[in-house]
Amino acid sequence: MTTAVTIPRHGGTGGRTAVAARARQVVKAYGSGETRVVALDSVDVDIARGQFTAIMGPSGSGKSTLMHCLAGLDTVTSGEIFLDETEITRLKDKKLTQLRRDRIGFIFQAFNLLPTLSAIENITLPMDIAGRKPDAEWLRRVVDTVGLSERLKHRPNELSGGQQQRVAVARALAARPEIIFGDEPTGNLDSRAGAEVLGFLRTSVDELSQTIVMVTHDPVAASYADRVLYLADGRIVDEMLRPTAEAVLDRMKDFDARGRTS
Amino acid sequence: MSVLKTSLRNFFAHKGRMALSAIAVLLSVAFVSGTLVFTDTMNTTFDKLFASTASDVTVSPKDTDPGDVPQGGRPESFPASLVEQVRKTDGVQAAQGAVVSTGVTVVDAKNKNVGPTSGAPTIAVNWSSNELRSVEMASGHEPRGPTEVVVDGDTAEKHGLKLGDELRTISVVGDFTAKISGIVEFKVTNPGATVVYFDTPVAQRELLGKEGLFTQIAADAKPGVSDDILKANIAASIGGGYTLQTAAESADAGREDVAGFLDVMKYAMLGFAGIAFLVGIFLIVNTFSMLVAQRTREIGLMRAIGSSRKQVNRSVLIEALLLGLFGSVAGVAAGVGLAVGLMKLMSSIGMELSTDDLTVTWTTPAVGLALGIVVTVLAAYIPARRAGKISPMAALRDAGTPADGRAGRIRGGIGLALTAAGAAALVAAARAEEAGPGSLWLGLGVLCSLLGFVVVGPLLAGGVVRALGVVVLRIFGPVGRMAERNALRNPRRTGATAAALMIGLALVAALSVVGSSMVASATDELDRSVGADFIVQSGTGQPIVPQAQAALEKAPGLDHVTEYRWVDATVTDTRGRTTTADLAATEPSYVKDLRRETTAGTLTDAYGKGAMSVGSDYAAEHGVKVGDVLTLAFKGGEKAKLKVAAITADTGQVDKGAMYINVATLAEYVPADRMPQSLLLLASAKDGQETEAYQALKDALAPYPQYKVSNQADYKEQLQDQVGQLLNIVYGLLALAIVVAILGVVNTLALSVVERTREIGLMRAIGLSRRQLRRMIRLESVVIALFGALLGLGLGMGWGTAAQKLLALEGLGVLEIPWPTILTVFIGSAFVGLFAALVPAFRAGRMNVLNAIASE
Repeated sequence: MTTAVTIPRHGGTGGRTAVAARARQVVKAYGSGETRVVALDSVDVDIARGQFTAIMGPSGSGKSTLMHCLAGLDTVTSGEIFLDETEITRLKDKKLTQLRRDRIGFIFQAFNLLPTLSAIENITLPMDIAGRKPDAEWLRRVVDTVGLSERLKHRPNELSGGQQQRVAVARALAARPEIIFGDEPTGNLDSRAGAEVLGFLRTSVDELSQTIVMVTHDPVAASYADRVLYLADGRIVDEMLRPTAEAVLDRMKDFDARGRTS
Repeated sequence: MSVLKTSLRNFFAHKGRMALSAIAVLLSVAFVSGTLVFTDTMNTTFDKLFASTASDVTVSPKDTDPGDVPQGGRPESFPASLVEQVRKTDGVQAAQGAVVSTGVTVVDAKNKNVGPTSGAPTIAVNWSSNELRSVEMASGHEPRGPTEVVVDGDTAEKHGLKLGDELRTISVVGDFTAKISGIVEFKVTNPGATVVYFDTPVAQRELLGKEGLFTQIAADAKPGVSDDILKANIAASIGGGYTLQTAAESADAGREDVAGFLDVMKYAMLGFAGIAFLVGIFLIVNTFSMLVAQRTREIGLMRAIGSSRKQVNRSVLIEALLLGLFGSVAGVAAGVGLAVGLMKLMSSIGMELSTDDLTVTWTTPAVGLALGIVVTVLAAYIPARRAGKISPMAALRDAGTPADGRAGRIRGGIGLALTAAGAAALVAAARAEEAGPGSLWLGLGVLCSLLGFVVVGPLLAGGVVRALGVVVLRIFGPVGRMAERNALRNPRRTGATAAALMIGLALVAALSVVGSSMVASATDELDRSVGADFIVQSGTGQPIVPQAQAALEKAPGLDHVTEYRWVDATVTDTRGRTTTADLAATEPSYVKDLRRETTAGTLTDAYGKGAMSVGSDYAAEHGVKVGDVLTLAFKGGEKAKLKVAAITADTGQVDKGAMYINVATLAEYVPADRMPQSLLLLASAKDGQETEAYQALKDALAPYPQYKVSNQADYKEQLQDQVGQLLNIVYGLLALAIVVAILGVVNTLALSVVERTREIGLMRAIGLSRRQLRRMIRLESVVIALFGALLGLGLGMGWGTAAQKLLALEGLGVLEIPWPTILTVFIGSAFVGLFAALVPAFRAGRMNVLNAIASE
């Protein structure tokens, strides 16, 4: 194993390549024979460092599966996935766990926080688990950025849904991972709280040079990204740079129409 | 879908969880039914034995109990002419005199005791055709003349005896050596007695000291004459002064002899079964509470679509019924297995029981099933009621109903009140002046404090777990912190789980405090009062035969040897009130061997001619003063008028309340052949020769392996070993309760893991390794176990201390808390926690991260 896994990287700023993660000919299939279902069909993708990438697609398109595979949560049937220069598809559970802990951040749609831990404990949890001391200066900056200084001692059930997601964002940022994966992070929020969270993600890319990959089906959410990838039937079918909500919506209507006619 | 169908589906949907509770029911029921089967089997064995050996009517001297070792070492007897008289009685077909003595010890050529070690007697009898009712000659021939002896096959096998081997029979009459001429096998199961047979004249001479005497007459009736008529006829013929028993009465008497021992065992085991049930109740309550909590939304839905409260309630109870049924049926079956195992165990310590006699009466399954089902259903009642109260709205809510704060306060109030009442009762017990009311207070205190702790446990969980966390968990960093938080998440569940463990450990702690206080008190008293260097006594209650005493007195280096005999007497005070008492007949040197305080008079004077001493309790009760004259009727002797020369203070346990007389005084009133023998001898060495004298005594006693000589240090050690062994047996039985408690911990953890599936998934996703996850669950388990241990040990030490203070009235003056034991149990319970977490932790570790995140 390379030392890259154990030495924390600074998101995007000092990377050797412009690509934070890449997938090569990735296939993910379930079952075999006649019941075989292909979720990812020879996907090639590069995630640019320091960019905000959104993955979109209809239900069952494989967008979540792709994200799970890129994040080392799921195994692939064939193909290779690199995080920076580390090939992760052949890693054992122990190394994968370390990789997720030290180099990746997560924001899920719901149930992001441990109910028994306070906000600040949740934020520092990945570093606590790793036995690392959080960088106090950085931590304060992250907490200030997401505007949680007043609520650090609160338990998750004492926070609103939006606040909970902001804690989750702070947790993802606090460890300075190479890449943050979001699985519909605003899916459970009303539009105002959603906009807030997306704003933070955008800010962290712009000001902190964080790399973010987000799965979403919301065109407004996707409009915060630098680049939108469209998935259908397990393949990347399109891409849009500097999207706006209207453009994304239009493109999706196209897909829908095509989907219905095909 | 009917209620029954829903219940069945739910029951089988939670097989794993149900299995754990079923094991708890199974264990408890198995213990109950195993005890019943075992005691029934013992009864069958003894019934068969007595039925096979008893003749129609047995005549024996009055007031003798054939099961007891005679005080004088020589059984009561009557002349052969009585046999003739019985034989001539109307209705008697045959009458045979028998010689039976249990006052013997039989050793092989290497001076090894071939008698049983189980507490069963060694019996020496004369050979007669009557014996063939219960035995058959397996090899060799019957004993003929003074050089031959026959032994039973079980004994021969156990000690490797063959035809031609020498056996020495030791009795008060003297030592007698004969060669084995035959070995007999019992036709029924012989539960453990060693039996030797002699030719009739030999038996009379060597066991009774004189030919022509018998200890029993076995009479058989002519056809058509009932046992009762025969008994009446014989009674009319030989007059009073004898005990007559029909075959049925003999069997009853024999059964009564063993019944005492059986009952003690039975009630002890049923007691432990009760504890197991109690612990099992916690497990069942917890299981159903968790199932109901888990199913809140489902039950809410059922209510929303029209199920009545009653139906929901009933569906839970039906599940409990099924659980009770399965557990009990398996428990009864396991109980039979347990009984067989117990029989094997008993045979390893010398009590032979044959599985041929295995007796399962209809009461065993009936009691087992009824107990198992009733207890299970009752335990499930509270969770069932709670299920019935779930509102249809629960179907729409995300999580379970929020905790009711008021209930917590009420609970705390009740718990604290109970605990306070328990503590007050325990203090009352500790301060009690009399044992009777004191033990009532103790019982009440134990009950109230236990209930109080159970009720208040969930409220204590917060503080105690946090305190434990500071000590135990902090070194494990964030994983430890999460374990602590998880243990605190549902205090009621943690409390109930820990309470199950608490009960078993409280009993362990209480008993170990009492046990070590017993040893400490006895040791303390020995140090203070015993002046003798050595004590000689038999392990089987055999009196010390004169030839052994003579051999012992010849040992070099001894200063003096003191006899100590018990004699039964009826004591009449100056106002004519009578009491029966065991008098201690001993020698003047005894004052040096055992230092005793007197409240009046001088103890040395009590050993003078026509003098005696009484204890202060007796003196106070009967208004006896020094100089008063008491009338004593000695058993087997004459009446005596003795002057009270001293009154001993009744403190301490050794010889408490004893009345002393000189052996020489006793000999004036009791003929030599009726004199009770010494039950123990005390000896002191000349100054500086203790070691040599000890060895010399051991050497002198080598031909008499039934006796054991100990110096003070060894005696203390034996005392400690005895108490230790007793405690170990009790701990072994309590282990059952602890096993059930462990099942409870496993159950709670397993469910917690299921409930926290998403959390576990999240933690794994953000980088918690499998090893850390498993450690977190193990630590949670350890902390629950330690919480239970802390409560249990604290409670138990309180109980033990109160019991010791109460028993101080009986001479248990020294309180000793066995800290090493307590600490070992505390640390041991941490391992119990680790053990309980094995499977749940393994399963949590194996969880697929993605599925865990995705799960509802």
